[in-house]
Amino acid sequence: MAKSSPEDRRLELLQGTLDMLVLRILQWGPQHGHGIGQAIRTQTDDLLKVETGSLYPALHRLEKRGWLKATWATSEANQRAKYYRLTAAGQAQLTRERDKWSQLVDAIGRIMNPAPASKE
Amino acid sequence: MGPDPRELDDEIRGHLALSIQERIERGDDPAAARLAALKEFGNVTLTRDSMRSVWRPHWFTAVDALGRDVRFALRSLLRAKGLTATVVVTLALGIGANAAIFSVVRGVLLRPLVNRDEDRLVYIRQTAPGVGFDNMTFSMPEIADLKARAKTISAFGDFSTVDFTLIGLTAEPRIVKAGVVSGSFFEVMGLRPVLGRLLNAGDDGPKAAGAAVLTYRFWTASLGSDRSVLGRTIRLGPLTATVVGVLEPSVPYPADTEIIANVVTSPHHLGATMVQGRTHRMTELFGRLAPGASLEATRGELTSLHDAIKREHPEAYSAKANVQLTVSRLRDQIAAPARTILLLLLGAAAVVFVIACSNVANLILARSIRRESELTVRAALGAGKGALRRTLLAESLVLCGAGALLGAILARPLVALIARFASRFSIRALEVTVDPSLLWVAVGLAMIAAVLLAYVPRLPPLDYGSGRSEQRRRASAPGPGGFALSSGSVRITASTNRRLRVFATMQIAFSFVLLAAAGMLITTLVSMQRASSGFNTRQVLALDVPPPATGVGGAATLEFYERATRRISQLPGVNGVSTGAVVPWRDAGALGPGTKFGAEGYTPADGEENPTARIRPVGAGFFNVLGVPVVAGREFNDSDRAKSEPVSIVNQSLAQRLFPNGEALNRKVWFIDGYFAKTPLRVVGVVADVDDEHVVRGSAMTVYVPVPQIGLATRLFVNTSGDPYSIVPSVTRIIRELSPEQPVARPATLEDVRSEVLSPERVNAVVLSGFAAIALLIAVVGVAGVLAFTVSARTREFGVRLAIGSTPRHLLMRVLSEGTATVAIGIVAGAVAAYAFSRIGMSVFGSVPTPGPLPLAGAALVLIGAAIVASMMPAARASRVDLVQALRSE
Repeated sequence: MAKSSPEDRRLELLQGTLDMLVLRILQWGPQHGHGIGQAIRTQTDDLLKVETGSLYPALHRLEKRGWLKATWATSEANQRAKYYRLTAAGQAQLTRERDKWSQLVDAIGRIMNPAPASKE
Repeated sequence: MGPDPRELDDEIRGHLALSIQERIERGDDPAAARLAALKEFGNVTLTRDSMRSVWRPHWFTAVDALGRDVRFALRSLLRAKGLTATVVVTLALGIGANAAIFSVVRGVLLRPLVNRDEDRLVYIRQTAPGVGFDNMTFSMPEIADLKARAKTISAFGDFSTVDFTLIGLTAEPRIVKAGVVSGSFFEVMGLRPVLGRLLNAGDDGPKAAGAAVLTYRFWTASLGSDRSVLGRTIRLGPLTATVVGVLEPSVPYPADTEIIANVVTSPHHLGATMVQGRTHRMTELFGRLAPGASLEATRGELTSLHDAIKREHPEAYSAKANVQLTVSRLRDQIAAPARTILLLLLGAAAVVFVIACSNVANLILARSIRRESELTVRAALGAGKGALRRTLLAESLVLCGAGALLGAILARPLVALIARFASRFSIRALEVTVDPSLLWVAVGLAMIAAVLLAYVPRLPPLDYGSGRSEQRRRASAPGPGGFALSSGSVRITASTNRRLRVFATMQIAFSFVLLAAAGMLITTLVSMQRASSGFNTRQVLALDVPPPATGVGGAATLEFYERATRRISQLPGVNGVSTGAVVPWRDAGALGPGTKFGAEGYTPADGEENPTARIRPVGAGFFNVLGVPVVAGREFNDSDRAKSEPVSIVNQSLAQRLFPNGEALNRKVWFIDGYFAKTPLRVVGVVADVDDEHVVRGSAMTVYVPVPQIGLATRLFVNTSGDPYSIVPSVTRIIRELSPEQPVARPATLEDVRSEVLSPERVNAVVLSGFAAIALLIAVVGVAGVLAFTVSARTREFGVRLAIGSTPRHLLMRVLSEGTATVAIGIVAGAVAAYAFSRIGMSVFGSVPTPGPLPLAGAALVLIGAAIVASMMPAARASRVDLVQALRSE
């Protein structure tokens, strides 16, 4: 859905990358949904903002696939929250997605910025 | 599966709490922070739903969505109760009629018989189309020839139908329809006993003891399933037999018999006439296909064998009769008489279904136009085309589901009704029961209807931004003279209007077809009932009185009838009594197709065969008792004895055809048949034509002979002046006094015999009229509905018309004429469709009766009348349009 946001700088999340970002964030340790959203936002200097409407279903999807494990705990702000933790399978999945991602970036980069000195 | 819903809520609540807390920490006001957090989160319900749906399988999501749509549909349909009720009842009629008919068709035409390997069981028949004889049966020499030569039939079974007077099983002596069979019959038929044994090769031949098998229906219905009947000795006419077993429930064919006995019980079967007479035909023939033989191969082999037999015995197969042999699967043979009528009913039911669907389509279409604004709002709120269609589909599913349910309930009694009706054509209909297949048919039809109906309404255009589609819409909208005037929220375009009218026309057209067909059956029936028979039908009582079981044959039997006749004629109120061999119409076909005869002074032209006449043994005073005028000469009297001069009476057709100059009296005629030995019979009288074979009188040549000289009288005719039935007890008493074990059966006036014979026609007419009435009702509701709807959509137009000077009367006439025009177009379309159907019918059934002008005009008149009635209410509404309100309504 094309929605013109007032913050023009903001970027649309590329399709299919949300799962990878979530897995990557959770590599730093267990986190609740709000925290994951904030982390994506702060780490990208507000360039990427994940809609909660996409984030939470994604978390449940990853949990269903066994890549995340959830536990209820009390947050630092004394608020009960559901914490997600990366499983071993999730770790492996992250590696796979990361490889695919770098290949994709590389491939797209070759077309968008052809290296001038790449003659054989 | 998945997390507890409360857990999902907790998670969301946690998120919001954290979000608010963070904002407050940043310095926001708590109320503002809460608002901002909620705003940022977006649609909570939607998010929670998609979190939950992650844990569910795909089908669950789809079913859940459909369930929601169905609930929504239920709510919105409950708001339109009248429409819902009309639609459900209409669909129920269509679905119920189809499901019921289908159950019967399946039971009668398609279900296998209980006989072992029933698809290898064939029925072989000899016909003589040249003389209009569709079941000539076989003679023993013919069967022997076929048995000796056929290779594709592994075994033959033969069966002759005989009436026995049965004494010893039931309280009263009774006439039973019985079969006389050879020992191979049950083996060929592949049937088993439920009690005792069946007949086998040991029961064949003149030395065997009499043995009888009871049919299951006779045993259960008349003998109360009494197991002690086994081994009991019964009397079958003059002979005795032992009950050896009870047959399993099976379809009785060719006759609904109660007892099946071995050959020795019928002395006639062992006589020389039966064994040697090639033209003495009275036996039905069954066969089992040899292993590996196909029906086609058997048909081919038997036909060529039959041709060879015909060549070897040219005297027994006249060229004019054009004797043929047919082989068919027994199951098909049994179903054959019911096939045409059942297929006709299936067609009628299908037509009713089409009418019902198109009527419902109209109602739905009208409703969807009223709902256009609602649909538009939903589309604007983001419902895609698919979602809108799904809503409509859910709605039509609910409607059709309810219709199917009600239809299935309606179908149950209908099945019983139609089965009873169809049992007149095929005995198998009696075993038809309601089974789950009926429900499946109902559900299937409902699904078809639902999908069709969901695609009837036009969806509102969804791309509001695009000017092109708007232009296209305008382009397709009507120019001047169209009906696109909108009023209030109802917008009716030319294409919608056209659709409404097409559906209405279609209903009228199909109703016309059904009405015309029903009208045709009714006029045929009426003309048959009104046809003058030449008999005195009201005052003459006919009774079956078979020869006494004890006094064996000859003079004693004759004397019994003469004494009975004399004593009955002395009863008060009796004008005359006589005897005969056949009760008109009821015993049609009993005496065969006719016998060739020669006449003094008449020489057939070269190459032409001798003429054929019906032989009718009648007693003294027969014509007087039955009210048939004697045109010339005299009728038989007591002086025509066995030993006196052989005489005959001919009918007018014979006299005129053979002796055009009126000199038939005192000529001699003789039968060319071994049995009659060409004895010349002097013609002593000429009588008016009557036809005891057909209700509508034909002009077949007939020769009457006196009972004492030829044949046997088994029917009694009593002419009474009072109520004919009041005489029955006295007649029975007199006959019992003369012969105590004498059955007196089936007393009926000729009028009632005719009614009984015509009852299949009557039931046909009634059932088809029922369908036509349903169709008419639906069509009238449909036409009224369409008119009412267009009138309500044209309030503004009527207002304008009133404003520029139309009178309310004008408007009334205008709407009336529109209604009538729709119907008129429908009638024309219906006439075309009827013509097309009769052509199709012609290619399927060979010949199809076509309705005369009377039923066609009648059907058209009924429909026009219905159209006027249907247009009346909307027209009145149009004429009462309030000018000011109408013009303000936009």
